[in-house]
Amino acid sequence: MRSYTSYDNLCAKIDKIAYTNALAKSSPVTKILFALSSLVLNVSTPSPLIPIIVFLINTILLIRFANVPSKFYLNLLAYPTIIVAISSLIIAMFFGQGEALIEIVLPWFRWTVFKNGVTMGITTFLRVEGALSCLYFLVLTTSITDIFITLRKAHIPKILIEMSLLIYRYIFVFLEVEAQMNIAQKLRLGHSNWKRRIRSLALLSGNLFIRTLEQGERTFLAMNARGYNGSIRTLDDLPQPKLVHLFGIVLFNFILIFLTFFTMNLLIM
Amino acid sequence: MHIMEGFLPHPWWEIWYIISIVIVSYGIYRISKVTKEIPEAKPLLALMGAFIFVLSALKLPSVTGSCSHPTGSGLSAVIFGPAITSVLSMIVLLFQALLLAHGGLTTLGANTFSMGIIGPLVAYGIWIISKKVQLQSSAGVFFAVAFGDLFTYVTTSAQLALVFPTEAGFFDSFLKFSAIFAITQIPLAIGEGILAIFLFDFLAKYKGQLLAMMKVINLPITIHNQRRKNNEN
Repeated sequence: MRSYTSYDNLCAKIDKIAYTNALAKSSPVTKILFALSSLVLNVSTPSPLIPIIVFLINTILLIRFANVPSKFYLNLLAYPTIIVAISSLIIAMFFGQGEALIEIVLPWFRWTVFKNGVTMGITTFLRVEGALSCLYFLVLTTSITDIFITLRKAHIPKILIEMSLLIYRYIFVFLEVEAQMNIAQKLRLGHSNWKRRIRSLALLSGNLFIRTLEQGERTFLAMNARGYNGSIRTLDDLPQPKLVHLFGIVLFNFILIFLTFFTMNLLIM
Repeated sequence: MHIMEGFLPHPWWEIWYIISIVIVSYGIYRISKVTKEIPEAKPLLALMGAFIFVLSALKLPSVTGSCSHPTGSGLSAVIFGPAITSVLSMIVLLFQALLLAHGGLTTLGANTFSMGIIGPLVAYGIWIISKKVQLQSSAGVFFAVAFGDLFTYVTTSAQLALVFPTEAGFFDSFLKFSAIFAITQIPLAIGEGILAIFLFDFLAKYKGQLLAMMKVINLPITIHNQRRKNNEN
């Protein structure tokens, strides 16, 4: 049984793109290595140029090579961009210390914009945009199961991987149930005022919790019936990483590190 | 809500990762010990994680007009204890980054520290104290969850203030960030507390026995429920 609303949500849309984009069939090791290495370099570098390069490359890869709908990608980017633009502006205007750039002295109030605060605001904005593009590259090209199977190979504690895979499965079950209950409550005027909304929300969460527990019991029975002995095994027939791609990633990282040394002091006024 | 991807620069995101990983690995040790003793706890804990995720995807009506969502980790701390909650929170935060593009991978350590460690520890501490002084269970849950939520944001403010100090230093910046968060977070914390009271009463009413059955996971609720039952008898 499928409800109409549950598959409208963001979570399901991102998940669907992760399974259907043009890069979905390529090796997850390559994609994860690329996204994480550029993310770490992007966050660690003091240079303002690196985040711009990282952002452009990720955007081109996503739209040109992975065929992610550009409208969806831009929509995804829009909301965090607005927030980070506001926060960067606040940081640039009110934070920082040392040498002053602009100083406005009124009889009752003194407002200083610091050079170092402005630098901090600009680098924060660029850094966040670059990092977001790395995150979106990983999220929109690689499915969650591929990520966790790869993590298992990297010797992350087994229990953590199994819990994550189970959680992943049930998130979608509960989103579905939640959407159905939400419709039922709305039809019965459960959201007509603030007090009712809080109560409806509590009833919904409570029922969801009970379903959670019952589902847990049933899952355990089903797993036992199939010979569960404390570990979940999955088939991993993931494609092997291509040497050319790995070489390309290393080269790209070297270029970024190389550029960092030249553009490090670009923003320090 | 959470600190955004890339917001924390070079030394800080690593520092929060290291601190969080130390505590989360203790949680993983606890979980593997519990699941070895009682294998049926594993699917149950995983489902609890999914529940926290869905709870945090719900929109909570807040007084200021802006819509925000409950963290869910406070209630989880009351039910499962802080060590297990820290692991569940880390997984949930990872999924929020991967499935909702909310939060981030480099800020995962910092977010785990605020939402999965400090918040639940405060909530659990208040819950234990409220049981000691024999406060009504609904009042106990309210204070535990509301303060757990608030302290999550106090921690976030401190994390941001360390990165972006003002001229007057860390403390001044900390106050500025707290003041910005307080506008939306105080009504929200109260909302989440009220939600938790309804939720907790609902569970005690309909699934008291099932909660008692989970005694094996070291449920603080169990003791509470039994005491209530004894009183009724």
